[in-house]
Amino acid sequence: MVLSFHPVAEQMPTIIVGVAEFKISTEPFTYIATHALGSCLGVTFHDERRRIGGLLHAMLPTSHVHAGQKIREAMFLDTGISRALASLLKAGARKSDIRCKVFGGAQLMLTDNYFRIGSKNIDAFYKISQEMELDVVAWEVSGRVNRTIRLNNSTGDVIVKIPSKPEFVR
Amino acid sequence: MKSAADLLTVVEMTRSIPCAPALLPKLLKLAEGGASDLGEMEMLIHLDTGLATDVLRTANSAYFSSNQRCENISDAILRLGSKVLYRIAASTLTGRWLVNPVRGYGWEPGDLCRHSLCVAICAETFAQKLQLADASTAYTAGLIHDLGKFALAYANFTALDEIANRVPDEFPTWREAEKVILGFESTQVTKALLENWGFPSLFLAVGEFYQNPSDCPSTERPTVTLIHAAKHLATQLGYGVGVDGFYYEPDEPALAEAGFKDEDMDAAIPEILSTIQKYISPTGQIRFA
Repeated sequence: MVLSFHPVAEQMPTIIVGVAEFKISTEPFTYIATHALGSCLGVTFHDERRRIGGLLHAMLPTSHVHAGQKIREAMFLDTGISRALASLLKAGARKSDIRCKVFGGAQLMLTDNYFRIGSKNIDAFYKISQEMELDVVAWEVSGRVNRTIRLNNSTGDVIVKIPSKPEFVR
Repeated sequence: MKSAADLLTVVEMTRSIPCAPALLPKLLKLAEGGASDLGEMEMLIHLDTGLATDVLRTANSAYFSSNQRCENISDAILRLGSKVLYRIAASTLTGRWLVNPVRGYGWEPGDLCRHSLCVAICAETFAQKLQLADASTAYTAGLIHDLGKFALAYANFTALDEIANRVPDEFPTWREAEKVILGFESTQVTKALLENWGFPSLFLAVGEFYQNPSDCPSTERPTVTLIHAAKHLATQLGYGVGVDGFYYEPDEPALAEAGFKDEDMDAAIPEILSTIQKYISPTGQIRFA
């Protein structure tokens, strides 16, 4: 989808989500954005009926390796997605109306033993999304690109920016 | 454009960039010393107005400030300590050099600075965990590892666009494309710049071999492999990664020889990320407090 200029969209405020963070908005005319996903996954959640949206920027697939330690839930997909859903439901969203889109998981040149966070994250998200019966409507993952994403909380559209390429919408 | 003369041209052009990180080797040496070197450090900081300002501002920031204001560099040095001071100096000097708008790698302003800072923090963390190098040396090596790319981008070579257009369809890696299209590699430019600025031989080895540590002489290989690992981990974190970032091959034999394990590196990420987030805001602003 090609981006077109829209005066209201141009003036919408943006909430920035850092690495290992989850943020939510109940304001329709708001963007929720996160920069430079790399091998992390950016998962957007959007209830279009109520225009409640959220964005999770998770770095790693599972918190299990850090069992017993104090962790940041949003750093891991397993704990981050549970936390995100709980927050959205608390804010008034309905699970049956939430659509998810997933971005990131870039991968380095193929190696057998090192630097496979991107593929581990994608595998983990697939498994978790099946287990939690998430309605995942867009996958923009893998490849060798660094993605920056911006969720339009009014429409649920996600604007994707890749270095040296024009923005596009998923 | 395929000759050694072009490489020299790039190096010559970057001589004119203000505030090149030429002070760093001296500062590193002083930071490794004790309190007796603080006077000389003060003198060096005074040589660079911007750096002196950053040091004073940090010493008076909410993070470091006590009830009393620091009004001179001498007090600021005592308050911050040599390690923090060195971190500020290294990032200020290279950062200023790395934030100019450039073409060729799809960087937003400041991207190379953010990425280099992440590599530096990853390198410092691995140095402490694996004892492969001194932590301050590893940090500096991380900051300067890719200066050659900045020099190439600053020189505004249209050939960089050609590389971006031909990877991966014609060349599987960025390095191979550089060799054919430029006639040399960005690592050679890094080495030449560091040589000009009088950096010690270990840093020249990092600049020249960090993409392929197996080719590095064995004496310098542990530090070079450390930067190789830090580079790839930082790339996965995404901060400041341009269009070339994911088109480099990890050197598995060198990583294995140095004792790196994938699970250990993954396990270090939460700690690394906490450190990075002290210095880089979610919007990408670099800060020291």
